[in-house]
Amino acid sequence: MTYEAVIGLEIHVQLNAATKLFCDCPNRPGDEPNRNICPVCLWLPGAFPHLSGQALEKAVLACLALNCTIQRQSAFDQKVYYYPDLPKGYQLSQHHKPLAKNGWVDIVAEDGRLKRLRIHHIHLEEDVAKLVHETEGRTPISLVDFNRAGTPLIEIVSEPDMRSSHDAMEYVKALRAQLRYTGCAECSLDQGTLRVDANISLRPAGTDVFNTKVEVKNMNSIRNVGDAIAYEITRQTSCLEKGEPIVLHTRLWDPEKRVTTAMRAKFEGPCVPDPSVAHIVVDDAWCDAIRRQLPEMPAQKAARFTATFGLNPEEASAMSAERDIAEFFEAVVVCGPPPRKAAGWIGSHLMPVLKERNLALGATHLGAERFAALLDALEKQQINHQAARQVLVQLVDSPVSLAQILENGDFGQICDSTDLETLIERVLAAHPADVRDYRNGNAKVEGFLMGQVMKASRGKANPGRVRQLLAQQLAK
Amino acid sequence: MADLFTFSNPSPVPSATSGPLAGLRVVVQPNLSVQGWPCPAGSPALAGYTALSHATVVTRLAQAGAVLAGSSRMAELGLGLAGDTTARVLAEGRADLALINDTIGEARAAAAGAGLFGFKPSWGLVSRCGLTGLVPSMESIGLVAADPAPIIAALAVMAGPDPEDPSIPEDCAAGFRAQQPPLTGVRIAGVIQECVDNMDHTQRNAFEEGLARLGATGVTTRMVNLDQDDLFADVHHIVAAVEASSSAGKYDGVRYGHRSPAGKNWNEMVLNTRSESFGPLIKPFLFQGAYFQFHNYSAFENACRIRGRLVQATSDMLGQVDMLVAPTCRPAHDPARATTIEATYAAFGLTLPANVTGLPVLQVPSPARAPGTDFGLQLIGKRCDDAGLLAIGLALSSAAREGR
Repeated sequence: MTYEAVIGLEIHVQLNAATKLFCDCPNRPGDEPNRNICPVCLWLPGAFPHLSGQALEKAVLACLALNCTIQRQSAFDQKVYYYPDLPKGYQLSQHHKPLAKNGWVDIVAEDGRLKRLRIHHIHLEEDVAKLVHETEGRTPISLVDFNRAGTPLIEIVSEPDMRSSHDAMEYVKALRAQLRYTGCAECSLDQGTLRVDANISLRPAGTDVFNTKVEVKNMNSIRNVGDAIAYEITRQTSCLEKGEPIVLHTRLWDPEKRVTTAMRAKFEGPCVPDPSVAHIVVDDAWCDAIRRQLPEMPAQKAARFTATFGLNPEEASAMSAERDIAEFFEAVVVCGPPPRKAAGWIGSHLMPVLKERNLALGATHLGAERFAALLDALEKQQINHQAARQVLVQLVDSPVSLAQILENGDFGQICDSTDLETLIERVLAAHPADVRDYRNGNAKVEGFLMGQVMKASRGKANPGRVRQLLAQQLAK
Repeated sequence: MADLFTFSNPSPVPSATSGPLAGLRVVVQPNLSVQGWPCPAGSPALAGYTALSHATVVTRLAQAGAVLAGSSRMAELGLGLAGDTTARVLAEGRADLALINDTIGEARAAAAGAGLFGFKPSWGLVSRCGLTGLVPSMESIGLVAADPAPIIAALAVMAGPDPEDPSIPEDCAAGFRAQQPPLTGVRIAGVIQECVDNMDHTQRNAFEEGLARLGATGVTTRMVNLDQDDLFADVHHIVAAVEASSSAGKYDGVRYGHRSPAGKNWNEMVLNTRSESFGPLIKPFLFQGAYFQFHNYSAFENACRIRGRLVQATSDMLGQVDMLVAPTCRPAHDPARATTIEATYAAFGLTLPANVTGLPVLQVPSPARAPGTDFGLQLIGKRCDDAGLLAIGLALSSAAREGR
């Protein structure tokens, strides 16, 4: 029998609000342990939680970016469970009355078609404390760091609309792009500011039943999300083929061994309304004011880039996926270079340099004007392609001006025919056998000789002129 | 003195020498935070926990010139009155005003037992910030004194919005103002028929005396029926047990209080700590709450729904009369001796409806009776009509003084 996977994702995203969700402690989980704490986030007796207005605004902005309907009334419940990372015995979350419902994101499915994936709801909740396990030393101990306790989170619960690991990865990417655009969350799987739990079940292809699901956690990259889901589909398929029942439980993805292993029975604690936390009531005017803070989103930007700048869909998509890149692209184009050339250089050369350095654009010395000037020098053949790539690295890494880099770095192209002819004569003299070979009809040797000339010029020769002059010399 | 107080203020001087409460001596229960004072709320689970800052009401009382005398003894986490010495502190003249958290009727029952006035404000009128509470949706900090005057003066200071307690509802935002001048026009009190039906001879006599005194202040009475009267106790029991189970989750006895040395791992340590910490009344109550949370959530949801109906029915009735009247205590049920859940619900059966509905309620002592034989008279007011109720209390009090 062929099986079809049914996948739903629950995604926790940390909001980058200045304070925690229910107190005024700085929202900086990474600080020295237990530095950002107070009676509220330690849940000492008598302390009252008060909802942060900024966290609420950021959460609403995120919900709007994911096309959700904000609920007029929402409220917090106590999600009861006992664990050392939650010493008060319950987590404040919105179970009965979530902040927003009925959203969606669009992805490109494996067949190349646009697929709309629905979001069931988004709710606000507080993060729990972080456990640090010290296993070295005579007695292993576990420490609790409350810096993270009370950090504002949104949990985005999808409908079970995904059918493959491809769908799931594209969903996470699309959702992350939307959220990053709003500026309300960093969304790093690696840093744990975006955490994905996947619920996976199988059913006979073509049916619409929902079978027992298995929850998989602990994926710290989008690739791991895809791999864990693919692994789980294979594992469950083999279980079904062997006639073993699927049991509701939670599994952990092991990124080293690349397998999922059973962790525990899936636990759902009860959720009781909290009488001490104020209900959230929003009106249309307030929601509209938040909506006006939404920037132009990736899909709209890509459409405009295609229409205005003539980018093809791939280029438009690459230039709009991240907000800082999109804004940089537009700023570069304003300075004059051809838009498609700018897009090509940003996508093929600048983005790899940033990735290699793990740097955001804003953290480098490269501004739009410096980048545009580099493209201009290339266009005017002041430098060649290869030199331009080296100059780009310097523009990213140091504040030195383009003119200064060109002057110091000896990147100017050799275009002068006399200089080039001398160089070519020297190379031909050094490779008499290859020249004979060429003249006997082996045209391929020309490429080799061309490379030797470029090498002898240390990459500075104008390749077009070299090709022309070399052909003339060989023809003699 | 040691048997009355868990902590007595070593320097009982007012922090403000003038103010509306200048010199008023206040005793609190050790579940209300006074900076630097032990705040164990009567539970080994919180033994040794010291308050980090003042509760909002403590700050306000101190700024108005009140003197904090000390903290009394109290039942574990404030459920019931077993072992509570707060009213005795007043009866023995060691303080002028007591604050008793009223979860199921404690402030009123303690007042009735000592022949005093006891007032539970409308839910939300007084900030709970700094209160180590148990049942957040039902409890209010109650005020007990020999006369309504200090209750009115203190409530005027204590009530009103508090940025530290966002649960205060909008209808309480105006705070509390003593009614000046009091009592104009005809007032009608509805006597709850179901309470009278269940009375024995002794209680009926006492109750009718109370009604007569009420009549002397110009209040006319008539009988009313409170349908589904028997549901109040069940609703209180289920909702309170669930909320207590969550509240007591915070009072884990692990970060403060008694921590069990035994246990192979964290789970066992927490289980041992909690089973060693909580006493014989609170423990089964928490178990019951956990039962509804984990295994019978629909019963909790039904209780919440029925609670909504009871609130509405009571509010409708208070649209026809100005207040409801009932005795405070039942004969043969001593709230101070109730040490099981069953006995507690039996003893507080007449006080708990005001906790379920969040309505203001004043316990009025009978001047003619000795403490212990006084079943008390409860006047239950319209929501946020705290001032109107206390004005009647003042009239009753001055009539009693003149009659003496």
